[in-house]
Amino acid sequence: MSTKAPVAPQPRTIREERLARDGKRRRPSHHAEANPLREGLRLERVPDPHVAVLFGATGDLSHRKVFPALAQLWRTNLLPADWALVAVGRRPYDDGTFRMDIAESLHRNCRVQLDEEAEHQFLERVFYHRGDFADNALYDTLTAKLEDMHLEHDTRSNLLFYLATQPSAFPEIVGQIGRCGLDHEVHAGGWRRIVIEKPFGRDLGSAIRLNREVLKVFRETQVYRIDHYLGKETVRNLLVFRFGNGIFEPLWNRRYVDHIQITVAESLGVEDRGAFYEETGAARDVLQNHLLQLLSLVAMEPPATFAADALRDEKLKVLRAIAPPTRQDVAREVVRGQYDKGWVAGVPVAGYRTEPEVDAESETETFVAGRFEVDDWRWSGVPFYLRTGKRMAKRASEIAIQFRDVPHRLFADANTDPQPNLLAIRVQPDEGILLRFGSKVPGLGLDIRPVTMDFTYGTAFSQDAPDAYETLILDAMLGDQSLFTRADEVEAAWSIVTPIHDAWLDMPAPAFPNYAAGSWGPEDAEELIQRDGRSWRRM
Amino acid sequence: MEGMSRPAPGSGSRTSLMSAPATVGQPMLRWQSRAKSIDGIAAELGRIWTSISLTTEGPEGDERRVAARTSVMNLVVIAGRGEVGERVAAIVDGLTGRHPSRTLIVTPADPDGPAWLDAQVQAHCVLPSDTAAETCSEMVYLTCGGESGQHLSGIVAPLLIHDLPVTVWWPGEPHFEGRSARELLPMADRVLVDGSGWSGDGLKGLVALANLPARFDVEIADFAMLRQARWREAIASTFDRPGLLPFLGHLDRIEVRYAAADGAPGMANVVRPMYHVAWLASRLGMTVVEPVRAGEAAWSGYDGLLRHGRRRVPVALRPVESTAPRGTTLIVQIHATRNRSQLWVEVTAYADGVVVQASLDGEPMPERRFLAPRKREADLLAETIETPGRDPIGAAVLDTAARLVA
Repeated sequence: MSTKAPVAPQPRTIREERLARDGKRRRPSHHAEANPLREGLRLERVPDPHVAVLFGATGDLSHRKVFPALAQLWRTNLLPADWALVAVGRRPYDDGTFRMDIAESLHRNCRVQLDEEAEHQFLERVFYHRGDFADNALYDTLTAKLEDMHLEHDTRSNLLFYLATQPSAFPEIVGQIGRCGLDHEVHAGGWRRIVIEKPFGRDLGSAIRLNREVLKVFRETQVYRIDHYLGKETVRNLLVFRFGNGIFEPLWNRRYVDHIQITVAESLGVEDRGAFYEETGAARDVLQNHLLQLLSLVAMEPPATFAADALRDEKLKVLRAIAPPTRQDVAREVVRGQYDKGWVAGVPVAGYRTEPEVDAESETETFVAGRFEVDDWRWSGVPFYLRTGKRMAKRASEIAIQFRDVPHRLFADANTDPQPNLLAIRVQPDEGILLRFGSKVPGLGLDIRPVTMDFTYGTAFSQDAPDAYETLILDAMLGDQSLFTRADEVEAAWSIVTPIHDAWLDMPAPAFPNYAAGSWGPEDAEELIQRDGRSWRRM
Repeated sequence: MEGMSRPAPGSGSRTSLMSAPATVGQPMLRWQSRAKSIDGIAAELGRIWTSISLTTEGPEGDERRVAARTSVMNLVVIAGRGEVGERVAAIVDGLTGRHPSRTLIVTPADPDGPAWLDAQVQAHCVLPSDTAAETCSEMVYLTCGGESGQHLSGIVAPLLIHDLPVTVWWPGEPHFEGRSARELLPMADRVLVDGSGWSGDGLKGLVALANLPARFDVEIADFAMLRQARWREAIASTFDRPGLLPFLGHLDRIEVRYAAADGAPGMANVVRPMYHVAWLASRLGMTVVEPVRAGEAAWSGYDGLLRHGRRRVPVALRPVESTAPRGTTLIVQIHATRNRSQLWVEVTAYADGVVVQASLDGEPMPERRFLAPRKREADLLAETIETPGRDPIGAAVLDTAARLVA
């Protein structure tokens, strides 16, 4: 039985407000008081002292991304001096051997190498904790270890959990954290947060179940679901570009935009992740998260503030404005593909079905393209063409906004038709923004040729942008959820992708492989867009 | 490739052109020429980008494009002496890739002689990555002899790239009342100085600096203030704790201890300690009751008085014998009393950063360290460029500092 605390009377009338202002009655506090010394501090804020607990610390993701990102944050003094990391894994390491292993990874994967002293300082804050994720003893000893570490490293009971394991281990680990009470945030007793890597579920049902499991233990404000695309500099700049400039937003709607293409193309195959990819496929691996996140950032309304929930509310509205596709929609508007052997960058490469750990008759898609519509006031009738694939001609991610043609051809006698204006936001590589417009070719005639204004990050700002993981991990440490996906966003994205998978299950087996490695995908993808009188951008 | 290895057409013997494969991240001189007039300089600047083949040789003998000029601002450096110009040039050169600019390093010389002008025009390029084009920017060393040094606006204005912001960097001891200031600051959007390098206690310069925005409509950036960023982070973080935040409204005393060499404490530049006090006072809405005054005794330092609501908050700047450079902040101490509870906060410099110690009613709180290696001028310049536009917090700090001195 719970007993409710008496609620203080709230001033409701002008008189009550005036009395409260005059100090005769306490004015209710609507907002937490802000620290006036914080305003205008130019430096990146340094997170509170804390211990980070990395599950899956011996895995590929931790070695390639998480440790290098942490090391860069250490190098640039963005980690607190009172900081430590407990690396949890199954393999038989001790602190010394694990640190040696991490040092090697840092040398291989860091974008800027740490000097010897900084590397030493970083590594001496990393501690290894061995155990099986399903074993209660792992968490009991971890709890004791964390208590000691808080005392030893003065980390004020602040804990950041990071799940970089196989997704199947997420519920077990979260449940065990809850069993040991490591999620509890007590008054003045430190914060507890959890970072969860994608994929978050493999369909709508499993995402709902996983959200339920996580939210049994943590509150939504403690949960940070990573989609590393949101931490990329160009993606973050998309918000600045749209809402920090006055000239683009007025054009950003159905009146001026003909269609939008979003491409996430990879030249790599599945490498040594065949088994993982067999269970995942392009729709789950990229469409459900990266592509739909990019779409929601492009299509969202301006948020009222740059606060995390204001931003995520607007993204959610976009995802909810995309109708879940019917079976007929999937048959007509979605194309899947699987790569055959071919040539990429002058090198012969194997087909998907002959990759290691891949079924010789696999029906897993390595390419997916789709036509989606955002049914809202701003975008009604504007198609969004999304495509992603492995073993494509080149690695390129881009958002292209194709504007409508001029309403009247004034220069009909020109030898060349002017092409419609185009705004291309290159996410990677050659990060930048390109604007295409028509220009008169110098001479006596009146020829028009498309020319470009091309902004490239590399020439305007030569300093290295932080890796997406650096940005996101720092944000999680600081408690900023803006660039992390919320439970309802994840579920809204799955509600678009799950019907596609369900429809594929009901269809006859696809005629895979259907595109050569090194091409831009199957013929059907070309037909998908050509039906509308448009074509994919050549990249 | 050939174009990069031959003198450009029409450039004459004064022009030399460097050719060498670039190394990623290493700025290199790609063009150098001399001119004796404004028209000559403008012509040389134009020639860099129009009369040569903008290609060079890549690491595998391939032809690589050299990017055309990329400029994000005009940087005008007033270098009182030639060696200052050289030091500044080396710093700017290091920023070529990061913040390409047209840099004019102006050195007036021989004021009583005949009017003359000598300019060295250079293009510096940097290769940001193996696959990218080179990013180049221009540097012009201008030495203005005789009366031409008295008319700097007529020399600098024609050489500015229009529509780009103009930043005037005045290293060393600026003369804000002098002719150079009157000539150059009206065309500036921002003025960069380093108040910690000024002679004496530096306080007179602070007042003059604070008056500049009203006189010339410019923004001010002082490296001395920028260097304190980590101190501020450290102090602010103490009051992030909800239990301590209310103490900000109940400060009793602010004391800053700074390094002073043995025997001559009065000669230390106290601009940095003063900025600490001014920052706290301006952020907390304090007013100056009594400006700081130097005590008569050799080691007494400076005392002043602020008002915060009804409270009077004494301020003290105290010299401490130290091997650190004179004027370096060593300790910032804050005392506060609220509801009979006493808070004491002390932020102390150590080799790699600052450490915050605090106690509430004598009960020590966990210590917290902030890493903060000393920033080089290049870092400070880059940071200033990266934060363009108005800095209302900095302006308020400067304004409060001037009131504390007046």
